[in-house]
Amino acid sequence: MPTTPTDTSAVTGTPVTVARAALDALRRQQAFAAADEAALDGLIAVRPPARMPRPDPVWDDAVVLVHDVVGERYRRLVLATDTIATTALAGQFLMITVPSRGGERILLPRPMAIHRRHPEQGTVEVIYGVAGRGTTALVDVAVGESLLVTGPLGRGFEFPCPAEPDAAEASGTEPQPARTALMIGRGVGVCAIMGSVEDAAAQGVVATVVLSGRSWANLIGLSDCAELGATVIPVTDDDGSSALPALGELLRGLFAATPPDVILVCGAGVLARLAAELGDEWGVPVQVSLEAHMACGLGYCHGCAAPVATDPAVEGPLVCVDGPVFDAVLPIAAPAGGDNVAG
Amino acid sequence: MTIAPPRSTTDARRVFFDARPAVAAVDLSVRIGGLTLANPVMPASGCFGPSLGRLIPVTELGAVVTKTVFGTPRGGNPAHRLTEIRAGMVNSVGIPSLGAAGYLTGQHPLYLALGVPVIVSVGGHRASEYAPVVRDLRGAGDAYELNVSCPNLDRDGTDIGSDPDAIGKVVRAVRQETDKPVIVKLPVLVSSITDCARAAEDAGADAVCVANSIPALPLAPDTRSPLLGNVIGGLSGPNIRPIVLRLVWLASRAVQIPVIACGGIETADDALDYFSVGARAVQVGTASFGRPFAMVEIARALQERCLAAEVAVLAELIELWRD
Repeated sequence: MPTTPTDTSAVTGTPVTVARAALDALRRQQAFAAADEAALDGLIAVRPPARMPRPDPVWDDAVVLVHDVVGERYRRLVLATDTIATTALAGQFLMITVPSRGGERILLPRPMAIHRRHPEQGTVEVIYGVAGRGTTALVDVAVGESLLVTGPLGRGFEFPCPAEPDAAEASGTEPQPARTALMIGRGVGVCAIMGSVEDAAAQGVVATVVLSGRSWANLIGLSDCAELGATVIPVTDDDGSSALPALGELLRGLFAATPPDVILVCGAGVLARLAAELGDEWGVPVQVSLEAHMACGLGYCHGCAAPVATDPAVEGPLVCVDGPVFDAVLPIAAPAGGDNVAG
Repeated sequence: MTIAPPRSTTDARRVFFDARPAVAAVDLSVRIGGLTLANPVMPASGCFGPSLGRLIPVTELGAVVTKTVFGTPRGGNPAHRLTEIRAGMVNSVGIPSLGAAGYLTGQHPLYLALGVPVIVSVGGHRASEYAPVVRDLRGAGDAYELNVSCPNLDRDGTDIGSDPDAIGKVVRAVRQETDKPVIVKLPVLVSSITDCARAAEDAGADAVCVANSIPALPLAPDTRSPLLGNVIGGLSGPNIRPIVLRLVWLASRAVQIPVIACGGIETADDALDYFSVGARAVQVGTASFGRPFAMVEIARALQERCLAAEVAVLAELIELWRD
């Protein structure tokens, strides 16, 4: 994982020099984000129709039971919402409407992955990074207040999923559910995979979970994985362990004898590409959860078409209803020699 | 700090459905040409889809309005397609469309199943493109809303709806194809909303809808780079309300046909603002994203306001402000 360029505090000089350095840093961040998104190019494929029916979404006034700080950059909400807690599937998300307070009006709800489901308590957990106007305003919501939430939404991880249904059909045997899984999450993207860590624990699937973040203090999911009995591989930018070559080498070594039955990934385009490469080498399916700007979460605003190259007359799949989880498959390489012209 | 979780046996959506008002002795109905709507509240095109019907009792709305249907399929614009800035929501989705044939098979049955009148929004990039879409819809829909806020390829991309002659041409051609009510959805940036509304009325339109989102360019506050893939988009939300109120007031004075107001409506009070300057119906767009039940809440509140004022017809309530 390349280190996200951020720190400009050391820059000194005239105000113009400082301003220029700050702007350069922002532009580098932007370029970094664009490169990360570009890593998804050609990687995203819509999965065949789901075998599992999705729960009906509801909206609810969810009382905030806990609203605390996680690491240096994140906040955790525990929300009382019985219907959603009992119906949500792993990898599904909520739209959270940020209440108006003070002068700041936030019009659009914010999509957030369901981090934990506690059906017996009627609660769900959500972790968010404080990044823009919406999440900054959300910080002010106090315990005891309620939040308008809509969910559960989207097509989550299909896991434990049968190995290659086509192959199963060809061989005439029933698809075998996964017995082992590799799950990779970075930053707040860890939340999207945590539901699958819960499912793995409940179904006796052996889960190995890579938790990636900028620093140890900013790793999400350590205590959750400990509680759920998953094997954790923590990697961070500040000690270099999150760098892609190092992580790739580690995982290839770890699974050299027996690859996992499935790979789930969320939180960075470059990690999705690494997962797709590993999946290709090992011959195992890879599912990736994507983020997108969206307004409705239900498929009607069409704000969130996924980055899938298609005919300009055909809209790409929508992250909110066709995803957020898609198959990640390495694009078929163009034949050597350069000319990729169909005969 | 932790408080004990209150165990609910249901969710707020269910409670809202169950709170459906008994049939009240208040007449909120509105006529658009030959079509009578049970109440004057409907969604703005693009801000509704059949999937919202799972979250709200759609039968409490006056009508639904589809996403704009073009003659042939379109994919829409690159990401990001929408953003939110301090001024409001800005979108440049680019109206992906299945085309008329795709709409008929893929979407229309889902709209029909909602059980309220379906107003099909129709788009085109030339004045000549609208009537063929209406023809290809083969009578599907209870009314047509002509989205003339599309770049006119015959005139360097200026909105068709900013040119009274082009509006007249579009409406006359569509009139040849259907006897159903025709609504013209006018854009905000016009030199004279009066001339545009009159052009629609003179050509045989049954209503005008005022207005669409306001052309805008949202920038990231720190890097000053564009926030939308298409760079420019349309601003919507409560901040555009006073701008559209002026347009609705002007249009209502210019034409006899109903004016449907669309611009930043979030509450029954916002709707009553528009009614007080002459609107006969309202469309709700951006508000439904943050509060999916906003439209139904407005329809219920209008009924309650009439009951509280002891008037039998919405028009009587509006008259109170005109005295």
